[in-house]
Amino acid sequence: MSAPDDQTEKSDVDLVQAAQKGDLLAFEELVARHRDKIYARAYSMMRNEDEALDLSQDAWVKGWQRLTQFQGESSFVTWMTRIVINLCLDQIRKHKRQRLESIDAMDDETGGVERQMPVVDVNPTDGLERGELRQRIDGALAKLSVEHRTALVLHEFEELEYKEIAKRMDCSIGTVMSRLFYARRRMASLLAGLKRESAE
Amino acid sequence: MKQQQQHLKLQAWVDGELPDGEARRLAALVAEDTAAQALVSELRALQAAMRGSEMTRAVPDSREFYWSKIQRQIEREARQAPGAAAAAPLSWLRLWQRIALPLAAVAAAACVALVAVKPAPPRAVASPGDEIMATSEAMDTMTYHDQSTGLTIVWLQDKNAAAPADATSIQDDNSIDTD
Repeated sequence: MSAPDDQTEKSDVDLVQAAQKGDLLAFEELVARHRDKIYARAYSMMRNEDEALDLSQDAWVKGWQRLTQFQGESSFVTWMTRIVINLCLDQIRKHKRQRLESIDAMDDETGGVERQMPVVDVNPTDGLERGELRQRIDGALAKLSVEHRTALVLHEFEELEYKEIAKRMDCSIGTVMSRLFYARRRMASLLAGLKRESAE
Repeated sequence: MKQQQQHLKLQAWVDGELPDGEARRLAALVAEDTAAQALVSELRALQAAMRGSEMTRAVPDSREFYWSKIQRQIEREARQAPGAAAAAPLSWLRLWQRIALPLAAVAAAACVALVAVKPAPPRAVASPGDEIMATSEAMDTMTYHDQSTGLTIVWLQDKNAAAPADATSIQDDNSIDTD
């Protein structure tokens, strides 16, 4: 099922135009080019390989079905990333409905002990290689609650404004600010801890 | 509570989410407050570290395997909802098919209907529900119609004779049986 050679030489714009006319081979080439990025974003949010795979594939199906709506205001991969984020948010909401409310959930919302944490006065990421930095950030993200992680991913990776995050997470701007703040405090603390561990 | 609100304001300032007037007020506060400076410094360092630092991950499946599931789902959904399939990318050919095929179907149905409702040839005798007139004063008529079989029996009787002179049955399909 490999695409013909001429597909690989086309730009995203050309492939999107061909796919919009019903060319499934062109769409397959787009999937091949960007599947890792779409999968990585799903993984960043869900922290589960199977779910990330399923959601990223669902996103491509949705992308195909809505391709005529893509007008090129953003890049194709940005447009696809928004689709997978929305699917992940829907999935997170489903999980939230399913899980029982607990004291921990309250701590997630208000930040729990992070409010009391001392400020990290040394930059915990100084002197790290890019690859190592990415790994540490990824490891720290995995330790956050899903709400805090989602707010942080949408703000730092997707670079969305508070208003847009609130809309997508279906909460108030105040809640977004609160989640973002405590997510950052916890991240700073986790990264500082990792730095201390590696120095010892 | 007040401190918490101030922390959130400082964060909003770092993120460029405050209006100009409030941003100036926060800048003045940070210039004088070492605790605020430390917090701002931490937030900025984290922001700088995170931007563009999303872990790169490769899909664990091969290109073919990953695509095959997407392709199957696209095809399945197109079969399940033909309208949705048409909502997917439309080529001119597909657009033409979308318009022409229903028109062709309507035209074919119209042809079939025309043939089916073609006027029947003039009937030799009356059918059920028609008025039957006896033009001869010497004749009497009696009719019987059976709804279940669609059979109508007409007796033509000579007033002077004792028994029915003739009996003709008419079926709903206009065929005529003569007993």
